Amino acid sequence: MAISSTLTAPRRAFFAGPVVPRIVAGLVILVAWEIVVRRFAPSYVATPSGVIAAFPSVVVSAPFLAALGQTLGAVAEGLAIAIVLGTFIGLLMGRSALGEQVLRHYINACYAMPMLVVLPLFSLWFGYSGAARLATIVFAAIFSIIVSVADGARSVPKDYIEVARSFGASRMRMLFEIVLPASMPYFLAGLRLAGGRALIGAVVAEFFTAIGGLGYFILYNSRTFHHDEAFVAVLFLAAFGVAIDVLINWSTRRFLPWYRRDDRVE
Amino acid sequence: MARWRAALVRQAPFVLSLVAGAALWEVVGRNTNAAFMAPLSETVVRLVQLTASGELPREALSSAALFSTGLALGIVVGMPFGLLLARVKWLREALDVYIMVLYATPLVALIPFILSIFGFGFWPKVLVVFLFSVFPVLYNTIEGARSIKPELIEVARSYRSREWALWREVMVPYTLPFTMTGIRQAIGRALVGMVAAEFFLSATGLGQLIMTATQNFDTAAVFSAVLLIVAAGMILMRLGVALEAHFAKWRG
Repeated sequence: MAISSTLTAPRRAFFAGPVVPRIVAGLVILVAWEIVVRRFAPSYVATPSGVIAAFPSVVVSAPFLAALGQTLGAVAEGLAIAIVLGTFIGLLMGRSALGEQVLRHYINACYAMPMLVVLPLFSLWFGYSGAARLATIVFAAIFSIIVSVADGARSVPKDYIEVARSFGASRMRMLFEIVLPASMPYFLAGLRLAGGRALIGAVVAEFFTAIGGLGYFILYNSRTFHHDEAFVAVLFLAAFGVAIDVLINWSTRRFLPWYRRDDRVE
Repeated sequence: MARWRAALVRQAPFVLSLVAGAALWEVVGRNTNAAFMAPLSETVVRLVQLTASGELPREALSSAALFSTGLALGIVVGMPFGLLLARVKWLREALDVYIMVLYATPLVALIPFILSIFGFGFWPKVLVVFLFSVFPVLYNTIEGARSIKPELIEVARSYRSREWALWREVMVPYTLPFTMTGIRQAIGRALVGMVAAEFFLSATGLGQLIMTATQNFDTAAVFSAVLLIVAAGMILMRLGVALEAHFAKWRG
């Protein structure tokens, strides 16, 4: 049984639904958090009121903006590398039996590996620098792209290929006009996973190497007992995590409307 | 004989790729500074040494205890709570957004807070593994609950099904396959949580072994521990996929 990507169907917008119960639940959670921390926790622990108070000054402060730029820049760069390389390797595995047999076990092993274990090695090889972070991000993101592109390329209906072949399409055109578009939904599903993993990769690399970014911003502020300030950065990371998810669900619905796995009637 | 030969020919690219990979590792390792990259042969020797000295088994057991406690808690909390949310619609509608947000949030970002609030013991680390594993279980169980056709519950109701029968016949069979997908994801995430806790909270287990070995430029030991984690990860992943496939038959 091969370890393979799971294809999640584009969901109906997760945020669609009744608003009032959600707002009420949110308020209950915030109030409970505030009370529990005030009663039982040391005063430096983050509270909703503290985070709200810290928010305006943190988001315009130079260290925060610099950290934000560094992390997001690194994630974007790492994802771009992972997409290009990962699509290439994924196509190689999906469309060539030899490529599949040669690479599969290595890719599966790396995919199953918790990406954190490479941190000490990467910091040794690349130094305690942005390069180590970039390498960690690429490593964290690339395997879910490879696995899902390979799955997608494998799943292209044989008829399409046969028709193209009988019309004398070149290998290149077949790749770009049939295989790639047909594996798009798989690619997007892989990209969704890769985006989240890239974000985690960036944060853990910053924890480990103490280079500037949102991860280090959190580490530094929580160590100096500025939990409210540190939590603002957590909110941003959460927002990016959700944004990646929402963006990819949206583009699957918008650009690949024919792709629908579950025609559920509700 | 013929069948053997056919199998051999079929497996040839795989075997050759393993041999090539091993050879590449050996050659690169021998031609790089020993502090950066240990060749395969040295790694194997070190692996045997560390196993014989009892160091590797001891640390692996410590890691396994952390992993399994956190994952078990994640499942034990996530599954019933997920099923409850599956049944109680207003509660699910109130909470699903928050669960989805926590599922998508890189929870590693919370580790510095956990460190400074709860300190260094075993249970703060379990908390990390728990947080990593509980949300996939919850999230997928809720997805499953959303996939139950309302007609099924209506039919059960109109036949005056008791609450218990409704759970047994509709809720559990329809959500459990999704929960299993969640558990499969949780296994992978719990492994990440385990290493993260061992790196960033108090250093114990395989994480500690890797950190100390890196500081001592003992790359062969680093690779030994990484190999062990990769092997464990692959076995666990396969277990998860098998579990998921077994219950996937139930999906309507």
